[in-house]
Amino acid sequence: MLFPLESAIRAEAKTVAESDDYDIVIVGSGISGAIIAKQAAEAGKRVLILEAGTGANVTLAGYDNLLTTFYSAASKDNQSPFPVNANAAMPRSPQLRKLQAGETDSSSYIVQSGPYVSDTVYTRIFGGTTMHWEAKTPRLLRSDFKTRTLFGQGLDWPLSFEEVEEDYHLAEREIGVSANVEDQQYLGQTFPNDYVFPMRGLPLSYLDQQVNKGIEGTSVELYDKTYPLKVRPYPQGRNSIPNPAYDGGKGYRPIGAVDTHQVEEGGRCQGNTNCVPLCPVQARYHSGKTLAKAFAVNGKRGERLVELLPQAVASKVNIDPDSGKVRSLEVKIYKDPASPAHETITVKGKVFVLAAGAIETARLMLASGLRSTSGLVGRNLMDHAYLLNWALMPEICGTMRGTSSTGGIVDLRDGPFRERQAAFAIDIHNDGWGWATGAPTSDLLELVDDRNLYGADLRHGMINQVSRQLLLAFMIEVMPVESNRIAVDPQYTDALGNMRPILSFTVPEYTMKGAAYGRQFARTVFTRLGAQDHTRYDPGDFGYVAYEGQGYAIRGGNHLAGTHIMGTTKTNSVVDKNQRSWDHENLYLVGGGSMPTIGTANVTLTLAAMCFRSGRDILKSLH
Amino acid sequence: MYSYSIKTLDELKEFLYRAMQLEHATIPPYLTALYSIKSGVNQDATQVLRVIVVEEMLHLTIAANILNAIGGTPDLVRPDFVVSYPAALPDGETDFKVSIQAFGRDALATFLKIERPAQRPEHLVGNGLIYRKTPAHITALASHPRHEDLHFYSIGEFYSTIVEGIKYLEAEAHGAGTTIFIGDSSRQITSEYYYSGGGELFPVTDLKSALEAIELIIEQGEGDGGGIYDDDDHELAHYYRFEELVKGRYYQKGDQPGHPTGPQLQVDWEGAYPIKENLKVGDIFEGTELREAAIAFNTRYGEFLQLLTRAYNGQPSLLLEAVPMMFEFRNMILELIRNPLPKHPGKNGSPTYEIPGGIKQPAVTRQAEVNA
Repeated sequence: MLFPLESAIRAEAKTVAESDDYDIVIVGSGISGAIIAKQAAEAGKRVLILEAGTGANVTLAGYDNLLTTFYSAASKDNQSPFPVNANAAMPRSPQLRKLQAGETDSSSYIVQSGPYVSDTVYTRIFGGTTMHWEAKTPRLLRSDFKTRTLFGQGLDWPLSFEEVEEDYHLAEREIGVSANVEDQQYLGQTFPNDYVFPMRGLPLSYLDQQVNKGIEGTSVELYDKTYPLKVRPYPQGRNSIPNPAYDGGKGYRPIGAVDTHQVEEGGRCQGNTNCVPLCPVQARYHSGKTLAKAFAVNGKRGERLVELLPQAVASKVNIDPDSGKVRSLEVKIYKDPASPAHETITVKGKVFVLAAGAIETARLMLASGLRSTSGLVGRNLMDHAYLLNWALMPEICGTMRGTSSTGGIVDLRDGPFRERQAAFAIDIHNDGWGWATGAPTSDLLELVDDRNLYGADLRHGMINQVSRQLLLAFMIEVMPVESNRIAVDPQYTDALGNMRPILSFTVPEYTMKGAAYGRQFARTVFTRLGAQDHTRYDPGDFGYVAYEGQGYAIRGGNHLAGTHIMGTTKTNSVVDKNQRSWDHENLYLVGGGSMPTIGTANVTLTLAAMCFRSGRDILKSLH
Repeated sequence: MYSYSIKTLDELKEFLYRAMQLEHATIPPYLTALYSIKSGVNQDATQVLRVIVVEEMLHLTIAANILNAIGGTPDLVRPDFVVSYPAALPDGETDFKVSIQAFGRDALATFLKIERPAQRPEHLVGNGLIYRKTPAHITALASHPRHEDLHFYSIGEFYSTIVEGIKYLEAEAHGAGTTIFIGDSSRQITSEYYYSGGGELFPVTDLKSALEAIELIIEQGEGDGGGIYDDDDHELAHYYRFEELVKGRYYQKGDQPGHPTGPQLQVDWEGAYPIKENLKVGDIFEGTELREAAIAFNTRYGEFLQLLTRAYNGQPSLLLEAVPMMFEFRNMILELIRNPLPKHPGKNGSPTYEIPGGIKQPAVTRQAEVNA
């Protein structure tokens, strides 16, 4: 039916404040909160989800409005569809500038205290960062769970791959991952005999195929070991062909979206290149799909079990000093995104889940002044370091066709070299040099302004220039370092008076060593392809990092992790292996922030898998 | 058994061919109305139309599945498959014309008639077919192959005849120890190739699945026995979605037909390009870009039907190739609709849907076969 859902699921602030029978209160409607909400509702629990954004995009019309905003925006960065909302502000990369030594920049939402300026972003609206993620869903490798033991780097997880494997299956089902098992069997990744992904793998793009043609059968040497090269398809959280063999032959049925009408419940991927920031046909998974299912669950008396309270910014976690348990949350409810006017309510529940992303969850914990035995809240901040390398292919190879990234060179995700330098996965970008240079706008300006082209010459010039563009994005491992952190300070607050996150980050030496090797690697690949290297890192770039006499522009990957790290004891970590706070029995801190390492896998699939585990633990604690 | 019943398998095949023709015939008017809407206005109307176009494509595919199930050969390139607009549809005692026209009150009035639930009043039950009043050169959709001068009371009656025919022929075959469902099951289009298209696509292999398939087509169009929703209460029938636009208000669960009580919606009746109704290529000046664009669209649309024909004849994976073609249509149609039509002041161009015969195999499809 084509009918706005919101009236049915939106809670009233007053009713929420007076309720004392929520089993679970969740902060954040991203994938973590959505999975736990759905699991809890299916077990008959009452759930309240607090969402800082307006929730307007819960309807199809609201989703379409985001698209309209994006289409008409001058800057096509990954936050451009999302309206400015000072009450739930979010970081945005075009607002960044280079820092001078010792300088702090508080002009944008995240206070950058350096020395490295991170352009990492996350989205504070209904659906969280799944509203703009790229939807690549590789798993962590077995070795990524024990890098301390194997390579003397980073931290070991308190869990092995084997303990997480079943939850990976659940996460792949929830997201509806498209992939072929045979493509993912590399670097020791194995699958049960009868395992198939929910949907078949998306085909490699023509650009991927052209790159593969140039490198397949070649190899590179690294510390006396040979690594063969080829382009492999990525598993992806976007709709392809449902695999009829899924679920023992029952097949997979792609369902669920912001609207209940089937046509809008996620069409098949049409190869629109603007997957990031927003898929026009909802082929790409976002947590609204999981939430649509959660909202549809009714209790015994026919009441809806999951409620959403939008425009609700969790501002303080109140602890009972005797038990150490969370007693309530203080929540600021604003009436209008354009005004800081708000009322403050107190929300009570049995279990509280902070699922607001690695930065906001840590920020809320720190702003609440909570005691932490390990002292690690906000520390060990991680994000993949991206190094971009771009070149022109010798022939037109169809750049701008297909989704953002369909394949990559991923055989250097693991190896004994990780004792000395970071591993990386290389994404081949089907959307040209956009991330690196602002193409194709920059190409148009150059052809018109510098080369005076017009008419047919201009059209041919654009095709010749843009459809040969190859961008290799090296996604480089970053290990946990305690000094890389999120902090708060009362002098930096937002419109509602909540303390803003302060980010301090240094790109670790281990990672820079991987970056330097990556640059060489890119040159090798370009040579084999006969492609002309156009890579240039500007010392004025906000992400510029000098290493061993060379300069590199490092980009954030928006794969945030580590700020409430998971471990074996309350002194070496913030949460246990179920993502339960060591210090506060009825508090769960979920999401990337719990991950002790991120290897070379985008974090969403793994954090989604972890939330299934936490959901079970929460339900157990409620019995 | 009245004299208009289906009595042979060949006749049933012809009826199913006409069902495909009927299901397809609604696509050009809906698609044209959809793309005639100016960007930035009529968001609700755009969604309603888009959803319905997709469901009509589903119905077309379902009809092909039924035809395949009984060993028929879907053929969308037969010269009469795409009708010449305006075409006539049964409307009770009379019929009415379906045109290619811009979104607006007139178009919507026609669309409501197309999807209108129509059952014979008591006193007319069993009275047989009705004499056509439209001139013979106008294509009569959902007509009876043996009685071109007559028409059914409604689309519902046309489909009922098919249902009765299937039941009769299957019972007859059953009596002889055989079945009419002898089609190659690998020709069935399943949800693997077509999903989220407004309903579940399932293989038709026997009497039960064939009847379910027809039921789905009827319910999505007219609703379930007069109710506003289809059988599982999940979706509004097309008729009531169009009615929402006319009434400016959404239906919600529990509403009675004709009385939506949900939130209001806005329709900008002027928010569409003023295209010339039922335009023909011959009406456009020779040598103009507009004429070239109209011809190019018709050619490409013909290739699309060729592709569908092959997809429905044992190569279901070719349906994947149809997706990028649909994008081309949008661009090609917009080119026509947004430009003024010479010698017709105040009117814009339009796709004409005059589909040439003898379409050559499109290049993209040959490539797909090599890959397959």
